[in-house]
Amino acid sequence: MFLQLLKTEYIKLHRAPVWLAFLIMPVIPALLGTLNYLANIGILKNEWYSLWTQHTLFTDYFFLPLMIGIYCSYLMQCEHLQHNWNKLLTMPVPRYMIFAAKLTVVSFMILISELWIAVLFIASGTIAGISSTPPYHSLAAWCLFGTLGGMVMAALQLGLAIFIKSFARSVAVAFAGGISGLVFLAKDLGNIWPYSLMAYGMNSNAPQQLMKTGYVPFILTCTAYILLFAILSSKILAKKDW
Amino acid sequence: MTSILELLRCEFRKTRRRYLIAAALIMTVLQLCWCLYGECTEEIVTHGWMLFLYQFPLVNAIFLPLLSMMIASGLCDIEHKGTMLKQLFTCTERNRLFDAKLLYGLLLITACVLLSWMVIVLYGFLHRFEGPFPLKLYLLYFLFTLCPTIMIYLIQHTLSILFQNQTIPCFTGIIGTFCGVFSMFLQNIPWLRKLLPWGHYGALQFVGMFGWTKETRYEYVYFETMHTDWLFFLALILSACLLYLIGRNLFSRKEV
Repeated sequence: MFLQLLKTEYIKLHRAPVWLAFLIMPVIPALLGTLNYLANIGILKNEWYSLWTQHTLFTDYFFLPLMIGIYCSYLMQCEHLQHNWNKLLTMPVPRYMIFAAKLTVVSFMILISELWIAVLFIASGTIAGISSTPPYHSLAAWCLFGTLGGMVMAALQLGLAIFIKSFARSVAVAFAGGISGLVFLAKDLGNIWPYSLMAYGMNSNAPQQLMKTGYVPFILTCTAYILLFAILSSKILAKKDW
Repeated sequence: MTSILELLRCEFRKTRRRYLIAAALIMTVLQLCWCLYGECTEEIVTHGWMLFLYQFPLVNAIFLPLLSMMIASGLCDIEHKGTMLKQLFTCTERNRLFDAKLLYGLLLITACVLLSWMVIVLYGFLHRFEGPFPLKLYLLYFLFTLCPTIMIYLIQHTLSILFQNQTIPCFTGIIGTFCGVFSMFLQNIPWLRKLLPWGHYGALQFVGMFGWTKETRYEYVYFETMHTDWLFFLALILSACLLYLIGRNLFSRKEV
């Protein structure tokens, strides 16, 4: 049943304009970050790690939150249009599964976005003339933990998009959330604020160090948030009058 | 035939309890917090007035296009969702409806830009920025912030009212915003900022930072006014008028 729901969500995304955002948006911060890195090469001496800080500076606070906002709003917008909620909720499937399917699809999209960011990172580093081997292990960890942090944001955004019917407003909330994430990270509270967990997971501030609070508390925090938002949103889906 | 004032009142009633005005205000407050939050250092007090004129166009290039996208989409989506356009066309002229929606959105945007401008000036006075307040430059800054925003709003408004699916104007807005921001970082390609409506904030930037070197960094930095490209400004106004006419014409021919 769940697989069927995933297939349904996939059909909604088939030839959807979100793929344009997926392809184009990470290219801009990669270019900006690389140019910034090249302009400050005298100060940024840690090669790949320095380049990562420059790439994620723009990606984590502006681009990825917006992309997640777009993915979530698009999936929810499909239901808001033409009273599709009524059709969807009359299907013989538990409502929590509908939410879980949407979250799974968005999570997969975040994962492939992270992979695309990683590809751009390696390409940028090579073009910028970094001769050492890219830190593949660290890069894999940043992308995986970034995806986990992104899933928290996605769960929250999907929940909010149940109420916010306007596509643009929902994306604006994600953008505002991304900026709030920057503030919480600056205040050393990045490990508890849902909108900063992604940047925290991607170690955007100090990539050469392991995560300050350790990986286990980070995984636990993310899991707790995902469960909390998923349960709350499923309850709302079950009770809301459409 | 319904007057434009009556239509504006209708727009206001439609947006009541839809939190559109509140969302616009929140976005403006967020922009101000982003810029003004933090310690007001000695450097900021010394260079304050000019520093703000140098820094704010970049922040505007990030926030104002997204604000325009949100307002335009919010105002037009009301009609698309309720399939109200057909009904509205029986009550009023298409052109008048286009104008009323545009005017209402522009009023909201102008209010946000004005609020942001006033808070920046107030911040300068409260923190006793050095030197006299350059009123002329700040009025110019207001003009050069408002005009590109109007241009962008026109694009967003036209797309939002023409397309039922609001993802199209939203994607255009978001991708345009980031291309605009990107163009501002590419100082060697000034034509790119002039070509992209989202980069016009950078093209109209009239304060530059000088004296920055890799060795001394900000130690000997100073700010000065640069050449203002009035010809480009005129071209911007003309292209905005042209865009308005095209959008209005397309809307009047739209099949509903």
